[in-house]
Amino acid sequence: TMLSLLGAIALVLVAGTPRVLPSAAGGKNLNSSRNVEINIIDDNFILRWNRNSESMGNMTYSADYQRPGMDNWIKLPGCQYITSTKCSFSSPKLDIYEEIKLRLRAEQGNTSWYEVISFMPFEKAQIGPPDVQLEAEDKAIRVNISPPGTKDSIMWALAGPSFIYSIVIWENSSSIEKMIETDYLRDKIDKLSPETTYCLKVKARLRTPRKVGIYSPVYCINTTAENKLPPPENLEVDVKNQSYVLKWDYAYANVTFQVQWLPAYVRKNPGKHSRNWKQMLDCENVETTQCVFAQNVLPEGVYYVRVQASDGNNTSLWSKEKKFNSDIQTIVLPPVINMKSISDSLRIYIGSPKEAGNKPVNQPYPLSYEIIFWKNASNAERKFLEKKTDFTVPNLQPLTVYCAKARAHLVDGKWNKSSVFSDTVCEKTKPGNTSKSWLIAGICTALFAVLVVIYAVKVLWKGINYVFFPSLKPSSSIDKYVSEQPLKNLLLSTSEEQTEKYFIIENVNTITPVEETDQIDEDHKKYSSQTSEDSGNYSNEDENSGSKTSEELLEQEMV
Amino acid sequence: MPDMTQKCLRRTLLVGLCITGILSLDCNLLNVHLRRVTWHNLRLLSSMSNSFPVECLRENQAFELPQEILSHTQSLKRDLKEAFYEMSIQVFNIFSRYIFESTWKQKHMKEIQIGLHQQVEYLKQCLEEEENENEDMKKMKEDEMKHPGARVPQVSILELWRYFNRIVNFLKEKKYSHCAWEIVQVEIRRCLYYLHKFTALPRRK
Repeated sequence: TMLSLLGAIALVLVAGTPRVLPSAAGGKNLNSSRNVEINIIDDNFILRWNRNSESMGNMTYSADYQRPGMDNWIKLPGCQYITSTKCSFSSPKLDIYEEIKLRLRAEQGNTSWYEVISFMPFEKAQIGPPDVQLEAEDKAIRVNISPPGTKDSIMWALAGPSFIYSIVIWENSSSIEKMIETDYLRDKIDKLSPETTYCLKVKARLRTPRKVGIYSPVYCINTTAENKLPPPENLEVDVKNQSYVLKWDYAYANVTFQVQWLPAYVRKNPGKHSRNWKQMLDCENVETTQCVFAQNVLPEGVYYVRVQASDGNNTSLWSKEKKFNSDIQTIVLPPVINMKSISDSLRIYIGSPKEAGNKPVNQPYPLSYEIIFWKNASNAERKFLEKKTDFTVPNLQPLTVYCAKARAHLVDGKWNKSSVFSDTVCEKTKPGNTSKSWLIAGICTALFAVLVVIYAVKVLWKGINYVFFPSLKPSSSIDKYVSEQPLKNLLLSTSEEQTEKYFIIENVNTITPVEETDQIDEDHKKYSSQTSEDSGNYSNEDENSGSKTSEELLEQEMV
Repeated sequence: MPDMTQKCLRRTLLVGLCITGILSLDCNLLNVHLRRVTWHNLRLLSSMSNSFPVECLRENQAFELPQEILSHTQSLKRDLKEAFYEMSIQVFNIFSRYIFESTWKQKHMKEIQIGLHQQVEYLKQCLEEEENENEDMKKMKEDEMKHPGARVPQVSILELWRYFNRIVNFLKEKKYSHCAWEIVQVEIRRCLYYLHKFTALPRRK
């Protein structure tokens, strides 16, 4: 019961223990802290603690661990009932990226205490020393690094590919150190002196999360005597007419070369797959310092190539590897240019290139265009650099032929590619001065306006005359009216109803031909009112008919 | 399984909505190439397996692709790029370390490894290009790192590793069975799909 009580208290304390910071260790317990610490190097866990100075006699220690979300404590092999104050074990089967709890139990007779620490294995883990093997050349040393941890390392299974290796190298005789960083397991340190002893040590490090590993032991090696034939230098890969062209520099004549290649991913591959360089058959024993091979020899991907010289008796060492990406074969096609004349300017349209059969080709690259523009049969050229595909060249001479051609440029970082020039297009500018034509148009409009005003005044005058100064000659006025109104009606519409009305009007007039002026005036008034009514009706009807037709139109449209 | 697809769908929608607000990869030409290569890899993976075998549905597992990273509105463009760079490295890792010749044909193995490596290369170049452009930004970030507030980039890489750890452990547990590989393939295709989606976003400075 005493034990269980202690255990219960410990559990409560453990539950209340805050998460430990990576550097600190231990939680609260009954006695003072034992400085329980965990050290992890690669996959090896070492648990250390201090002995309780107060206690005398045999104290046995046991360690268990608990995975997150579980209730049970699992015994750690090699850490059960030991008397020393440290124990080591290889990573238990757990998730190294999850927080685990480690419980140290000390027993002496009837008393025991617990101490629990909580940590994330990966966070606490330190990168161990890598293993290194060296091969010497005359002016270089080949370094083969075996990554820290075992081949089946759990700790670095995912982080391994991101290791950066720092190689510190110095000449045995001097103490000047040079540091080289590489992320390849096999690399070459060059620009060294022949027949010299060099020493080096290597460590691995991680960028995120930041981890610095332990240095390997120091390895020393002698570089060989200088080789009779130096290796080729300055390898360059270009594309020409659907083939790759590999060029290099070589100081001596009368040598033949051979080329080898390797897919780049192989160098990043830790392990099983062969890292054998393959022979480039098109470049076997070439005598020039260049070699052309077809694109389909190295399909899409990233590759390394290297060149070796031979004069029959001796062979040089391999050149420095040149990395290239098959995307250098990307070509920029020439654009399609069009011109349109607009008054005194020419509008230039740049379209996407067209393949055979007028199919537009999609080039999703960031392109800029260079347009050469000149007057036909002249030598003066103007150059425009545009990113837009639609712009105007203003202030040109009228009725003149201008020509243009364009090419596309792809400039992005290290890339610099251009297309060939497009076809030349020529276009004639429009005739005449715009301002002159506007003037003429303006005058015409003015004249027209004047005519309209005159006509309007005339009508108004007649109207005024009619209203305020009616004529005393009924017949003439009536005749005038009669002659005018039906004409007006005829002019305005051709509906049957109008002609009917026309007849009515005439009847009214003929019925009362001989009357006094007053009556005639009254009749005029009647007449006018009638006509006004008629005209009113007419207008209404017109409106109605008009609206009807519009309705009909709508109906037709809807159908 | 229907529940999972619903969850999947919801998550994808959520991510899709979040994505539109966010950043894109901004390496112009490299982006164009990256997009092309990612799409090529997606198609390659799809062509390697025909329809998902029905008997493998039972073993299906949710690996929980960390959405927090993909929809993290605070993360810098650079963090996102680094996350995808790490993701590409891990995918390449899975297809080079854990793949056996019995599972895939030699030719397919090579093709996918070449393609995935190219993807990694483009992302690496993209990050390097940005690093060269923003030397000041880097110094700023390094100062930030000293303060506890800015541990965001480190956390997201760990999340990714947890995710890939789940996948690798699953493969090991199932002893690299055919079904296990089919399931893992589907998951990897999801990853590539998200990467492709990011490359397709309009560029923002």
